Amino acid sequence: MLIAEPLQKAIDELSKLPSIGNKTAQRLALHILKSESQTVDALVKSLIELKEKIRFCEVCFNIATEEKCEICTSPKRNRSLMCVVEDASDVIAIEKTNEYNGLYHVLGGVLNPLAGVMIDSLKIRELLLRLQGNDVKEIILALNPNSEGDATSVYLMNTLKNLNIKVSRIARGLPIGGDLEFADSATIGRAFIGRISIQ
Amino acid sequence: MVLRQIELQNFRLHKNTSLNFSDKLNLIVGGNGQGKTSILEAIYYLCTTKNLNLANESDVILFGEQYFDAKGIFSDLTENQTRIFFDIIKNKKNFFLDEKPIFNSSSIIGKFPIVTLIQSDHAITQGAPSERRRFIDSVISQASHTYLEMLLEFNKTLRQRSSLLLQIKESKNINLFSQLEAWTETLITTGTEIIKHRIRFVKEFNLYLHEAYNHIIESAEEPLIVYDSLAEDEEENAAERFREELASMREDELRRGINLVGPHRDDFIFSINGLELKRFGSQGQHKTFQIALRFGQFFLMEEKLGKTPIFLMDDVFGELDTYRAGKISEYLSLIGQAFITMTDLTKTEGLKINAENKLIKVSNGTAAYA
Repeated sequence: MLIAEPLQKAIDELSKLPSIGNKTAQRLALHILKSESQTVDALVKSLIELKEKIRFCEVCFNIATEEKCEICTSPKRNRSLMCVVEDASDVIAIEKTNEYNGLYHVLGGVLNPLAGVMIDSLKIRELLLRLQGNDVKEIILALNPNSEGDATSVYLMNTLKNLNIKVSRIARGLPIGGDLEFADSATIGRAFIGRISIQ
Repeated sequence: MVLRQIELQNFRLHKNTSLNFSDKLNLIVGGNGQGKTSILEAIYYLCTTKNLNLANESDVILFGEQYFDAKGIFSDLTENQTRIFFDIIKNKKNFFLDEKPIFNSSSIIGKFPIVTLIQSDHAITQGAPSERRRFIDSVISQASHTYLEMLLEFNKTLRQRSSLLLQIKESKNINLFSQLEAWTETLITTGTEIIKHRIRFVKEFNLYLHEAYNHIIESAEEPLIVYDSLAEDEEENAAERFREELASMREDELRRGINLVGPHRDDFIFSINGLELKRFGSQGQHKTFQIALRFGQFFLMEEKLGKTPIFLMDDVFGELDTYRAGKISEYLSLIGQAFITMTDLTKTEGLKINAENKLIKVSNGTAAYA
């Protein structure tokens, strides 16, 4: 079967994207082909702008348009709180909750000796430098609940111990809004093991 | 739960085999290499998505064919169909529950519980500690999804930590020690939970084992499993003991670049009347112990899951004396549905075969009721 070369090229490029397979790529390419020129222009422009205008905040390594990100420059944020996360996508997830008003620090990964990710590959030195002469009173570790995330949390707790800053770690537990009966048994089991005393 | 019927296509020697089963005892009789065990293999696939003897799927296909297909109909409160289909060209195993594809085999754990007593069980009592850990871990996992997840996480932590130990050994970089500490702490947290679960499990399982053993032989023999771990049976200070042990082995771990402390090195000591089975047991005691372990597992799972498992026995009867064969056959009548292969019908003296049971003769890949 022969497909016109520009179409095949577009399909191949699109299928490089995460969670896009060959079929979806073909559907997207054909959809784009049928769309108005100006719609396609807008899409292309937005992608180019994304790459050109977005950079990483030089303070917290979150996604930014300037040298510093909007969170780091905002006067409304609580500067005594800092949340440490693995990736910029975690910042988006936490921001969506509207429950957190502090600062962030994006590590850019977690410890993973098998994959060769060690302390120097993460933004840990930058975190320690940042904490010098700063008003941060509490650090919240919000890393993913797996062995790599746990080991990184333990490492950070040990490293931050001497700084006289309160360090806490987000809880491992049940999703809110969902009923207990719908949670998978492994999550419920872990929530029981990690239960906290309220009296 | 019972398995009502199966349909096999290109499965080992079975080109096309359909069978209806009894809710009680199903005896599958035939010579060596005729396709008896393949029927058990298919049943195991339909319950677990996995191979009974960890064989490759491509070896299961009838010689010269491109795929195998097996279907089974289970009946419990509802009827459910499972199906396994393997295509040699795509090299892909597809499992369906009621025609819906299942991608994660752990999502059907406990849904079609099955207990197997097979030849390789001898390794549980006679083999290395890893065989006993594998047995105990699999029984706990079948009842507790949480345990299974923790075990997977613990194994990941072990791999990460040994990779780090190796890097320290090779680079002699002492700056990596602070990272090692973090992985050690993670190892202790998950490892301690595994130890605690195992301590609790062994305590409970001993009751089932005692019961089963005394059903198989009536004697004053008392079987016991003792969990040989660094925590010495005490849940409270397991974490502390773990930490102490790691501290004392630290130099060795760094020198050799491997994980030397943790539940991955524990053993379970089996004994009869206080004498260690592995060192002092007779062949007969080993066999009885292996059978009792599986019957114990059966009743424990039935209790925990609230479902009666299917029982598979591959070629075990041939090795038993008439007395124990009779006892086991009596015991089998208590448990619900069972599938038993044997080469020789004359060995069934003690076995009570009546109208409720089914006798299936297998010869060169064709099965017929007898």
